[in-house]
Amino acid sequence: MMPSLPIWQFDVLLLVLVVLFAVVALSIRNLMGAAVVFGAYSFMMCLIWAGMGAVDVAFTEAAVGAGVSTVFIVSTIYNTSATMRSRPGGIAFKLFIGVVVTLAGVFLLSALPDFPDWGDPNSPANATVAPYYIENSIRDTHVPNLVTSVLADYRGFDTLLETIVVFIACIAIYSILRIETAKSKTDEPEEDTATAPPSYDPSDSLIVRQASRFMVPFMQLFALYVIAHGHYSPGGGFQGGVILGASLILLAISFDLKFILRQWREKPLMLLVASGVCLYATVGLACMFTGGNYLDYGSLDSVLPNDRAMARSHGILLVEIGVGITVMFSMLAIHINLASNGRFDRGL
Amino acid sequence: MENLIANFNYVIVVILMMIGLWSMLAQKNLIKKCIGMAILQTGIILFFISIGAKNNALIPILTEAAYSDPDVATVANPLTQILMLTAIVVGVATLGVGLGLAQKIYHQHSSFDEDEILENQRK
Amino acid sequence: MEILAYILISTGLIFFLGTTIGLLRFPDFYSRMHAASKGDTLSTVLILLGCICLVSTQGEMNWLLGLKILLIINFIFIGSPTATHAMMDAGNKAGAEPWKKDSE
Repeated sequence: MMPSLPIWQFDVLLLVLVVLFAVVALSIRNLMGAAVVFGAYSFMMCLIWAGMGAVDVAFTEAAVGAGVSTVFIVSTIYNTSATMRSRPGGIAFKLFIGVVVTLAGVFLLSALPDFPDWGDPNSPANATVAPYYIENSIRDTHVPNLVTSVLADYRGFDTLLETIVVFIACIAIYSILRIETAKSKTDEPEEDTATAPPSYDPSDSLIVRQASRFMVPFMQLFALYVIAHGHYSPGGGFQGGVILGASLILLAISFDLKFILRQWREKPLMLLVASGVCLYATVGLACMFTGGNYLDYGSLDSVLPNDRAMARSHGILLVEIGVGITVMFSMLAIHINLASNGRFDRGL
Repeated sequence: MENLIANFNYVIVVILMMIGLWSMLAQKNLIKKCIGMAILQTGIILFFISIGAKNNALIPILTEAAYSDPDVATVANPLTQILMLTAIVVGVATLGVGLGLAQKIYHQHSSFDEDEILENQRK
Repeated sequence: MEILAYILISTGLIFFLGTTIGLLRFPDFYSRMHAASKGDTLSTVLILLGCICLVSTQGEMNWLLGLKILLIINFIFIGSPTATHAMMDAGNKAGAEPWKKDSE
């Protein structure tokens, strides 16, 4: 049976392009080039997901995969080196791995006839629990964007733990990279704030600085809109949080790392990362205190003005704000750590 | 041929996973290994999203006309999408951890190359 | 209105073709960036204007959609030349040689 996704020829073309991009990203000798091609690969993936009807995923991929992860790779390369040393030999090893991987692939492909067709509406994944969400989301939560309602309400535990994973990754990067620079602090004379030199490298371009200064407020406004309007349009805490983090990362890149460090010191930054998770968990606890189960926002209707379904809608909003705070500041903290090599003084 | 088109997404998933796995095992450069890990990850995400896609379906945001009685067949599967949405964000966090480790290793051994690092350690 | 939209979008696509050819055929970094940035900005703006014409014929909230696309055009108009400027600057600092007539 031929699939009749909206434009399946388009999807097939994009899928082939994605494989090409993956091969190119791995075969380029310069690491900076590989990072850029990897960003283009993510954009292709984003188009594919929009074509398959997953707009929220496409949004997230455009912000995370193409934006932030490319910045992470680039800031790592900035602190290390972009050249790959070529050394002879090792072809036999690579071929051996190639054979092993091909065998694994053939093994996977041999299961191909057992899979449901591409786009089959009656496949097991589409026919078991998903119809319940589609039919009952409006009645239960008043949220037309099914992804938001499933993300924060029906599957609230999943999202809570995923947020905690982001938090733990942030802590892990701290414990890997962070170096105390207490010694160098005493060496440097105290900066006089009145006559302090500009907090950025003046050899940087004025045009880039001014343009990003103009863009950043709009980016942040848009991100808040994405978080708050996630009930009715693509968006939510993850996307909005990543855009907020990206706006701060843009400032850090176009000015200087010192500029952003002057506003976001280390301790408040980590406190904010933790406070997002805390907000999420506190909403869950509040549900228990008002007589429901953990993360059962419906029981919040005794403190919130409207009925049960509306209380669930408000609970989703609170939870999304918590997710947004954690994601935003952990992206910023990871970038600062990678760009300054854990020293928190200067960098990309 | 028709069978291939009907299952084309799975073929691409397997190819992407093979590319990612090969790069994680065979590439000597740590950054390339990280990129390979991300490609393996997108392969898996593509698998989930493409089993959640439905023919002739719209995006999983209900229009106002469908509030009272939504038609399941015309709305894409939201469940696989939320699982992958969180997976992408967690993916970038783990990529950050991997890059942090690579950076630390580079500053110890001043090389991204696996063989050189091993040689350095034996000294 | 729809005909105007199609005219705008196809003009934008023609400019995109020119951009791609210029990117591939020009001799050095600077002229390539010149082709890429100018053609890219203009053709994106043309295609988005075509989209405004298309959405203005359908739906009741179409003015809001049009406004959003206008905002996107605004940001592309600021962002794209700035990115080009940053790349040119980086190329200049990294020492990319401009092409000269006798260096053929």
